[in-house]
Amino acid sequence: MTRVARTACIVLLFGAMAARDAAAQSPPAGPGRIELAGGALWIGRSAIGAADANETTPTNGSLRLFSTSSDLAGAPSADARVGVRLTRAIAVDVETAYSRPELRVAISGDIENAAAVTAVEKIQQYMIGGAVVWYLPVSRWPRLAPFVAGGGGYLRQLHDQALLVQTGRYYSLGGGVTYLLASRPDRWLKATGVRVDARAVVRRDGVAFAAGSHTAPTVGGSFFVRF
Amino acid sequence: MSRRLSIALLISLVVAQADPAFAYLKFGVPVNGRQVTLRWAQTPIRYLVTNVAVPGVSADDFQAAVGRAFATWHAVATASIAYQLAGATNAVPGRDDGLSTLGFVNRPDLDRVLASTSFLVDMSTGALVESDIFFNSAFPWSVAAGGEANRFDLESIALHEIGHFSGLGHSALGETELRAGGGRTVLAAEAIMFPIAFAPGSIAGRKLRADDIAGISDLYPAADFAGVAGTLSGRVTKNGAGIFGAHVVAFDPATGSMVASFTLNTDGQFSIGGLSPGPRVVRVEPIDDADIDSFFDPARQVDIDFRVAFVDRVVIVPRAGDSGEIAIAVVPK
Repeated sequence: MTRVARTACIVLLFGAMAARDAAAQSPPAGPGRIELAGGALWIGRSAIGAADANETTPTNGSLRLFSTSSDLAGAPSADARVGVRLTRAIAVDVETAYSRPELRVAISGDIENAAAVTAVEKIQQYMIGGAVVWYLPVSRWPRLAPFVAGGGGYLRQLHDQALLVQTGRYYSLGGGVTYLLASRPDRWLKATGVRVDARAVVRRDGVAFAAGSHTAPTVGGSFFVRF
Repeated sequence: MSRRLSIALLISLVVAQADPAFAYLKFGVPVNGRQVTLRWAQTPIRYLVTNVAVPGVSADDFQAAVGRAFATWHAVATASIAYQLAGATNAVPGRDDGLSTLGFVNRPDLDRVLASTSFLVDMSTGALVESDIFFNSAFPWSVAAGGEANRFDLESIALHEIGHFSGLGHSALGETELRAGGGRTVLAAEAIMFPIAFAPGSIAGRKLRADDIAGISDLYPAADFAGVAGTLSGRVTKNGAGIFGAHVVAFDPATGSMVASFTLNTDGQFSIGGLSPGPRVVRVEPIDDADIDSFFDPARQVDIDFRVAFVDRVVIVPRAGDSGEIAIAVVPK
């Protein structure tokens, strides 16, 4: 289990315990059991590897022809989410996000003095997964509910008009706040509001030129309705 | 077999008399008006070794070193080629006898040629029917595990020649510098099929590189690789016109490996096969690290008057497909 996955489990366990303690109190996130949301994210830049083009010398050493350093550039993302409140303080989200980040390979140090170039390709990225959200029972303001969330899911990245598909996983951990714009617990539409959050998204596999995990910061905002 | 043609390939200052096929590293022969890639029709390919010994290399040493080199090619997981030792012989390599023979021959007149491979081709099908390799005993040889100063490593040279024996031509993935007394010194190479050998004492040529593996896999794809391997193709132009003989290198940023080819017609078109799917960085350079006749017929006009350039987009090699034409415009030096 990765460090992020472990942390998510700890958050979940901690959240469940806190939820039991908070059962006698009013829901920290406000009314409504089902939440539908749509919004936008900014997924930050993520370094995905560096490699040199080397040739082998007669003594089994290396002669570098040029160097590369690669990243997935930051990109906006459309985000949709369905949440279900399990307890007063715990909810489970199913989420999906679509973005078109640039794969950027910076090429430099050519042995024959070729001009430095950044080779670019736009990829399509889909993230489909879930998260556990723990609403913290600490807010002084009834409309404002801070939370922490951790989760993960499936990563699908398509190159150049779907010539090649690469898949992987992602994990996320972060937090934010929800703010209720309207709250009508006795109605069918029980609440509307906005949510802002910041997370670290860790991608494994998919478009990456180095083994291991590649982390990108994300910030986002969404509008939600609750039933 | 209607006609036969012998083709000579030499490891140093090589002259390839066949035209290159429309793919990298491979040779093509004209059959009924069309170009057919030179390859063996059936494997395992049976070979004989001569029982000639030279100072430092007994007949048994020779057989063992050559056997290791064959085993290295045979071990390429993505290729289906196989070889089989048929025994020892007193025959001399180079005779058109239908038997593929490897052995030492003393050729002091060929003072720049360490070894050479000759082919016998069925010109009705383009299939190889015989391939002989001679190692020039005018040079000092070694089979020592760690190499030996001032002696050429037999296994390394055999590995290169067996690439030819299998149907591969030369690769230009190497850097050289001119020697004061003539010839070139290899600074580094990333293909066993680079036409100039490492200096005596080196054993760096005992391991196949990505370029060699892509070449043999493209020529003899293993069943499970044929459905996976992709190609990268395109066109190199200068001042709007295609150029012949540009060296095109596909670099894999995930593995650090390089596989290369050439533009092989006057339209400037190239195709690099045997590639695993994934993103590539593409670099184009003139052939300036070996003699041009190591790669092409000297009668062909190879353009070396352009600057090294990179393609400004990441090129995708799809699974069992082609990248689509990559247009690369280079500028004169």
